[in-house]
Amino acid sequence: MFGQLLVAGIVHGLIIGLAALAVTLVFGIARFPNAAAGDTMTAGAYAGLVAHKASGSLLVAGGAAVAASGLISLLGYLLVFRPLARRPVASLLVAAIGVAFLIRAALGIVFGHQQQVFQVPLAWPIEVAGIRIPPMDLTLAGVAACALAGAFGVLYLTSIGRQMRAVADDPDLARVSGIRPMRVMVTLWLLAGAAAGIAGLMLGVKTVVAPEMGWEGLLSAFAAAILGGIGSPVGAVAAGLLLGIAQEISTPYVGFTYKIALSFAVMLAVLLFRPRGLFGRVEGVR
Amino acid sequence: MTITRRIVLAGSAGALAMPNVVRAQGETFRVGALNPVTGAGSPYGSGMQRMIGAAVEAINAAGGANGRRIELFSEDSQTSPQAAVLAAKKLIEVNRVRAILGTWSSGVSLAVMPLTNDADILLMHTSGAPALSTPPVNAKSLGFRFQATNDRFGRAFAEIAAREGFRRPATMAFNNASGIGNTDGFRRAWAAKGNQNGEHVVYEPNQPSYRAELLRVLNTRPDVIVMGSFLPDTTIILREWFQTGTPMKWIIPGWAANPQLVQALGPAVTQGIIAVESVSNEGAPAFAAFDAAHRRAMGNQPGTANAYAAMTWDMANTLALAIEQAKSFETAAINAAIRQVANPPGEAVATFAEGKAAIAAGRKVNYEGASSVLDFDQFGDVTPDFGAYFIEQGQFNRRYVVKI
Repeated sequence: MFGQLLVAGIVHGLIIGLAALAVTLVFGIARFPNAAAGDTMTAGAYAGLVAHKASGSLLVAGGAAVAASGLISLLGYLLVFRPLARRPVASLLVAAIGVAFLIRAALGIVFGHQQQVFQVPLAWPIEVAGIRIPPMDLTLAGVAACALAGAFGVLYLTSIGRQMRAVADDPDLARVSGIRPMRVMVTLWLLAGAAAGIAGLMLGVKTVVAPEMGWEGLLSAFAAAILGGIGSPVGAVAAGLLLGIAQEISTPYVGFTYKIALSFAVMLAVLLFRPRGLFGRVEGVR
Repeated sequence: MTITRRIVLAGSAGALAMPNVVRAQGETFRVGALNPVTGAGSPYGSGMQRMIGAAVEAINAAGGANGRRIELFSEDSQTSPQAAVLAAKKLIEVNRVRAILGTWSSGVSLAVMPLTNDADILLMHTSGAPALSTPPVNAKSLGFRFQATNDRFGRAFAEIAAREGFRRPATMAFNNASGIGNTDGFRRAWAAKGNQNGEHVVYEPNQPSYRAELLRVLNTRPDVIVMGSFLPDTTIILREWFQTGTPMKWIIPGWAANPQLVQALGPAVTQGIIAVESVSNEGAPAFAAFDAAHRRAMGNQPGTANAYAAMTWDMANTLALAIEQAKSFETAAINAAIRQVANPPGEAVATFAEGKAAIAAGRKVNYEGASSVLDFDQFGDVTPDFGAYFIEQGQFNRRYVVKI
């Protein structure tokens, strides 16, 4: 039982973690809470669904989800967030909520409000060391691992990734060092969109695809971003996993109604003792 | 005297402030149709709305209710309480409707009823939540339910479980008034039959996985799981259950176990599921009239395809008959007349025109509806019959009807 809950928690946690990665990247570099991340996820799920129906391949679906969410995320930046770049955080947050509504409404009009599902083959679980694991969970965990490897590869192994982290650390210093902000921002929004797209695809495969799915999952993504330390990609993923696993394995003790509350209690407890989050740094006062 | 802007403004303000009666020389009785055209109720919502329209047409063709035509204003509840409240406010404050017909889900009806109560108008709905029967929600007794309560659904589940010979039923409920109402109704009725209840799990909406919940239930080795659920969560739970490879039966309310569920999961997963839905009053003359109207409006689809459309058809007819009986357009008088025209004793009538003629002749009528015999109890609830539909190779086969 414990092992199976752990597996369920890990897959759940990977979804939260990817969504939190999208939130935390924007938070760290563009410096506002992107409330449109949830609906960017939904857009990825629908793009994946359409591609999966056409091709029957989860790989193609993943590609479509990444492309569509990346594009929508970039459009959001170019059309809305860039013109508002120097405004207060509150304006950007409200604008992001507006973008979220827009995406959701558009998806509702195009695809309808009825639930849709990925027609993936259902298979009996594989038994590994006494733990029964559904094969789809393994596939999804693999997808998430590839997506995370890709994202961290960009962040830590490439020049543009280094520049992004430099902007996150100190935008003014980065600018005087000759880093061109436009390139960094475009990469940022593409990367954040792609992460959200994969999260949306995974959620869609595991559950059902509906226009509201991403918005409803946004709160846990924000929670993980905060818990992990705002702006820390590693922290976001680790915190997502922690929240997912805590929710699932706590159920034998606290029941199903309170498991969501429990994951937030975990977040509160961590923040009480470590206000900067798991992997966050203390910001110096300037 | 020169007409200044101020005078024009004062004049128009005065006109607006004049009592309704003065302006409403058109002499219509305004009714709102608030139905789930989009959202979870969308398989039923358009049909519900069109059947209100069709019934109103027939009523107006028969000369209207108490001499007034019925004027219909239609809105989409989006199956969402927030959207429904906005739409209800618009219907009440802008369109000044005197009754709202056809709210579908419990969440929507629970949100709208305080507004209709405040406006002192009737709300006729098809929701299951037991709370809609009693104060504080139905404090003014202006709410009428044309569908069975969730509790009655639960009793029907227990009848079916007993008939199918199940011994160890477990229950799973979506955490809201409707879901828990279903399973509580079942557990009470099951215990009343002298049986032992099994594991009971209440789960939260919008979870990416229900594996923990399922494992808890499956570990007690039930032979059937009785659900108080909706379509999306049922889809996820059944998919996860099938992948555990545990053979077992399911009893699920018909609004969750519907053709969309089969479409989502395929015939293999859904094989043998027992879907329970209230059945329309199919042998009745009123049903024949409804069926004909439904076929006309819905591209020749039979009336049996949408039990909720039969309920909204009955709503319009009951309301119009009550107005006719009350000889009044006041809510209190209409409200008092609803049971007079719908409940026995009296001459059984199947259409508004028939009932109008009988009332004119001074006889007491008893409208026998298309959705059920439509006898309201003290709470404004009806008791329809229930069909046990077995899903076999993706088809819904009704094996029998249970009465409670």
